[in-house]
Amino acid sequence: MKQEFFEQQHAADWQAFEQWLKLSVNKRKDRPPLPFAAHELPQRYRHLCQHLALARDRDYSLSLVEHLHQLVQQGHDLLYGAQGNFGQRAWAYAAGGFAADVRANRWWVLAAALLLFGPQLAIMLAVHLQPDLAYLIMSPLEVARMEQMYSNDAQTLGRVAREASTDFQMFGFYIFNNVSIGFRCFAGGITAGLLTITALVFNGLSFGVVEMRLTQAGLAENFYSFVIGHSGFELGAIILSGAAGLRLGHAVIAPGQRTRGAALRDTARALIGMVCGLAVMLVIAALIEAFWSPLKLGLPIKLSVGGVLCVLPLVYFVFAGRRRA
Amino acid sequence: MLDTLRSVTTPELIEVQLRPAGLLPRTLAWLIDFAIRLGVVMSVGTVLESLGDFGGGLLLLLYFGLEWFYPVLFEVLGKGATPGKRALNLVVVNANGTPIGWGASMTRNLLRTADFLPFAYGFGMVTMLCHREFRRLGDIVADTLVVYREKQQALPDLAEATPIMPTAPLDRATQRALVAFAERARGLTPARQEELADLVPHLAHDATGPQGAERLLGLANHLIGRRT
Repeated sequence: MKQEFFEQQHAADWQAFEQWLKLSVNKRKDRPPLPFAAHELPQRYRHLCQHLALARDRDYSLSLVEHLHQLVQQGHDLLYGAQGNFGQRAWAYAAGGFAADVRANRWWVLAAALLLFGPQLAIMLAVHLQPDLAYLIMSPLEVARMEQMYSNDAQTLGRVAREASTDFQMFGFYIFNNVSIGFRCFAGGITAGLLTITALVFNGLSFGVVEMRLTQAGLAENFYSFVIGHSGFELGAIILSGAAGLRLGHAVIAPGQRTRGAALRDTARALIGMVCGLAVMLVIAALIEAFWSPLKLGLPIKLSVGGVLCVLPLVYFVFAGRRRA
Repeated sequence: MLDTLRSVTTPELIEVQLRPAGLLPRTLAWLIDFAIRLGVVMSVGTVLESLGDFGGGLLLLLYFGLEWFYPVLFEVLGKGATPGKRALNLVVVNANGTPIGWGASMTRNLLRTADFLPFAYGFGMVTMLCHREFRRLGDIVADTLVVYREKQQALPDLAEATPIMPTAPLDRATQRALVAFAERARGLTPARQEELADLVPHLAHDATGPQGAERLLGLANHLIGRRT
């Protein structure tokens, strides 16, 4: 069949298809009627694919082939681009998939926890025996500022020396700072895990120094009443981001019987849900840290409510989503 | 091969061709996006500043959102392209040619942190220049590609001429070249048409000048099936 005849035969179909693609984007009520019903689309798309194959095989002109190719590509994007129900998927993930993912990665989580808490305990012991060792990690100025932040004269806990002065501003700061740290901790894993390990160890060390110095200064009560509420969510999320980063780093070092690219792809696909989950945890932590933790209430209240908030993530990770698996 | 085409076979067993975009267009697209984000932060920032500390908190949230989620939202909800990419006719697709989803988009944009190292997208540029499909680390991990997507163009009209039957069978490459010539003829000056026709005296039957070009158009008209 010659090109001219081929075009004459099918031009109307192609035009209808093109028209449909153009109009279907328009969601307003007054749009002109579509040239054919939506359920005809897959069939028409397959016809178009056939025409493209014929046009290529019969050496029809380049521009005809290109024209059909573009139509096929747009149809392909439309048919294969459906995103599913995002809200429903996110909800199902939060209701149990996240916990199941974390349990599936429990050895990585354990490793990340050791990298965070190991240095923390070590430096706490060191500072307990030799207080000046704190200055290895933090400058004297920073230590003094920390002590002032949690001092008894401070109006609200945890933020006197910082420039921010209202709860909401602190909320913005915590989100910006902590979620970014979580994301970086994961992405840094691609440097064979080095950046992730550095971040975990360094965070552990500075927590340890602050905790021990404040205890030594007699401010432990203020400190714990501030941190206990959000610590479960915040430390939990940091450990998860560390676990994700370590696993990504492992895929770089030991891809197994795959290419490095394939190993990275598979690993990232398995981890990305967990990374989004930990971002949500950090947002919850920021809410608690900005609006609950700075309140000056009686120590028993702060400790009991904080304690419940603290073990909440743990309960979720241990028990949620068991039925799915 | 010097060609940077990537052919992907769809479930309909048809090959779709993707043309990955290189470092320069992607840098330009990033610069446009950067300018947009900067503009938003500056303009909204001045408004929010008047709200005092509350505004400061909002500004930090806005900054956070633009930093991490600006590309993700545009890539997933905006047909695979941020405004910068759209300006340069680029879209992000999965390596199998399908539009990008939430997971892949999140992955490739989180990995920007790694691409940015040690400074100014150093790693990203090096991996892009070394990879035959110009992927940065984020693209490798998320299995995505940044490709050109041209705007749909109407079919060109083949220049009309009296169809001439070839005296000898023409091979496929020649047929393709003749039809391509006839399609482009409207955009070529007569002098250039004649110059091209002079390169193939055996097809033009030793006719030179305007007659040669006319003869090539005639052959092309015959090839696509026009008859007198």
